Amino acid sequence: MTKLLITEITRMGPAFCVIGLQHDQQKFQSIRPVSATANSWLHFPHQRGEILECSLTPFCGAPPHVEDRISTHGFRKRSTVAENDVAGYLRKAECSDSLSGLFECRIYENKRGSGTHALPGEARRSICGCRTQNLRLELCGNELRATLVLSSGELLRDLPVVDRDWLDFMDAALADSRGANRAARFERFLNSQFHSKIMSCPHHFARIGLTRPYREVCWLMLDTLFPLPQTDWLEEF
Amino acid sequence: MARHPIRSPGGEDSFRRIVDACFRGEAGSSVPLPGDTADLIETGVLDSMAWVSFLRAVETASGTSDLGSDLNEQPASIASILAALRSSNKGSLPSGDKKRGVAGSVSSSAAFLSGSSSVQGSRVVPSEEVDRAFHMPVGKLRKRAGIESLAYAADGESELALGARAAEEALRAASCGAQELDWVIATSETHHDYPALAAQLHSRLLVREDCGALDVGGGCLGLLNALAVAQSLIGSGAARRVAVITADVHSRVLTPERVAGEFGGLFGDGASAFLVRREPGSPVGASYRLGDFLFGCAGQYAAAIQVAARIGGGLDVQFDGEALSRAAITRLEKVITAVETRSGISRASVGGFATHQPNPRLLTLLAKQCGVSPSAFPPICRTAGNLGSSMCGAALHAALQNAAKMKPAERKPIFLASLGPGLLFGGSWLTPA
Repeated sequence: MTKLLITEITRMGPAFCVIGLQHDQQKFQSIRPVSATANSWLHFPHQRGEILECSLTPFCGAPPHVEDRISTHGFRKRSTVAENDVAGYLRKAECSDSLSGLFECRIYENKRGSGTHALPGEARRSICGCRTQNLRLELCGNELRATLVLSSGELLRDLPVVDRDWLDFMDAALADSRGANRAARFERFLNSQFHSKIMSCPHHFARIGLTRPYREVCWLMLDTLFPLPQTDWLEEF
Repeated sequence: MARHPIRSPGGEDSFRRIVDACFRGEAGSSVPLPGDTADLIETGVLDSMAWVSFLRAVETASGTSDLGSDLNEQPASIASILAALRSSNKGSLPSGDKKRGVAGSVSSSAAFLSGSSSVQGSRVVPSEEVDRAFHMPVGKLRKRAGIESLAYAADGESELALGARAAEEALRAASCGAQELDWVIATSETHHDYPALAAQLHSRLLVREDCGALDVGGGCLGLLNALAVAQSLIGSGAARRVAVITADVHSRVLTPERVAGEFGGLFGDGASAFLVRREPGSPVGASYRLGDFLFGCAGQYAAAIQVAARIGGGLDVQFDGEALSRAAITRLEKVITAVETRSGISRASVGGFATHQPNPRLLTLLAKQCGVSPSAFPPICRTAGNLGSSMCGAALHAALQNAAKMKPAERKPIFLASLGPGLLFGGSWLTPA
């Protein structure tokens, strides 16, 4: 049996993608448990920060999703780790301060519009943590997008935010029950309080992931953003 | 990315053309254009990545900065985009509009370019000699970059001397006296002295005391920044005639003692100058009208080129030539596409491309990537090297000279596109007046 600390749960259409950390011989390594039939889970009842016991095959997935392991049994919850500790463990796993270091490959810009991608044949992994000098979230045509500056000074623009907690927060912020001008109010929050909450948080940390190959490229996305949103923030806007 | 949305001379048609072109760019030309009210995401025409990418392309091409924000709580449809563009156009709010007060594009008020000049350092050095000086294998610059020689400043040639010479020639070409100038705008990536270059040029050219002097930065993008400022000064009524001057003497900054390897060897010395004024000059057809400018910064390439002064006089140079080459081609092509979409002028009907020219090899690659003839790019860098902020100016002057050989009715538009460290980018176009 393997013990996995669940570090990210991301939305992939109607399903969820899950990544956890495995502690093995003083090394923290990202592992993505997948079912035998799909890369994502239609139902995943666990939360980030939970330590789950599970049974995984030892075979790596195809590059760049080398973190994939097939889960052969269900998950059993063993304990829970606090949010700041999860971020602390993530800092000890795959990390990079530069764009080329994220997936150990070149990163290409979309020649047509926005977004950046890696090539499946070049990327060596599909998830990596990073420290950011600055970070901004933006609602663009009803889609949540992130722009961030890495420690190297390199910038990543228009990353789709796929973090389940942040998308749930956006949905709650834009719910009909919240009255008029919801999007404008949410935008104001993102442009004001959000920034100080995120950047001043001692365990601020982000993880960038790669999508599955689509039309021969893997797009970069913001998998995880610490600190996680809090429900009471909704009362601020 | 814009301060003012595009002024749409053709009204709805311009918006429709931009939206159609951007949709084709995103979805591919084989995908039929959906109905205006179809939700592009719900119908599966675009996924959410492509939707945002499409919006960003429309923002760049139209100069409307907040399209994505305007479309929140709206269906993801072409009708929504057109409505948002129309609404932005109605509210062309200049300075007071905080919502749109961000860097980006500058709309074209009537400003005409009516005199130009370009000079290069008078000492022509074969590239093999430069290879040796920078401790590179002999033949590297010629074989790998396509540079045959470099134009270096001779004794007595400085940014001031070269810039003043170019300015005097441009004023003469436009039959404009120096005392008629309202502003001198200078840009250089090598002049770091006090007084600044614009102030020195102000004195050297003997302009009126109440003529303004302004230095603008941007590295190799400096000329476009300066032209955009000139256009704005004229558009606001603050000036009638503006001299825009570039001057760069790399050979005294990027010396083999300070910069090792290929980077230092790529650059030459030169200057360029242009007279921008409110009215077209005479004779008819001798002037070009400046179009809109679009600007931005692709920060993902920031690490590809970084130069910083070191204590003790040296330079710390971070230069990833391969990454920078890739970035330059991708970005310049993207800028040319945006200029094409914004202007409504097909690249096939352009008479000349005055672009930044990192080196001849990349210029050929850019022409190929853009699907245009390499002969439309004046080949300055082959014999002079990369002239920094004067590169685009030298190419523009050459394109204007080529056009001057034609009958006025046969002259074609000119596209401008350039880059600077950061990676700054910018573009515009000129049409015969």
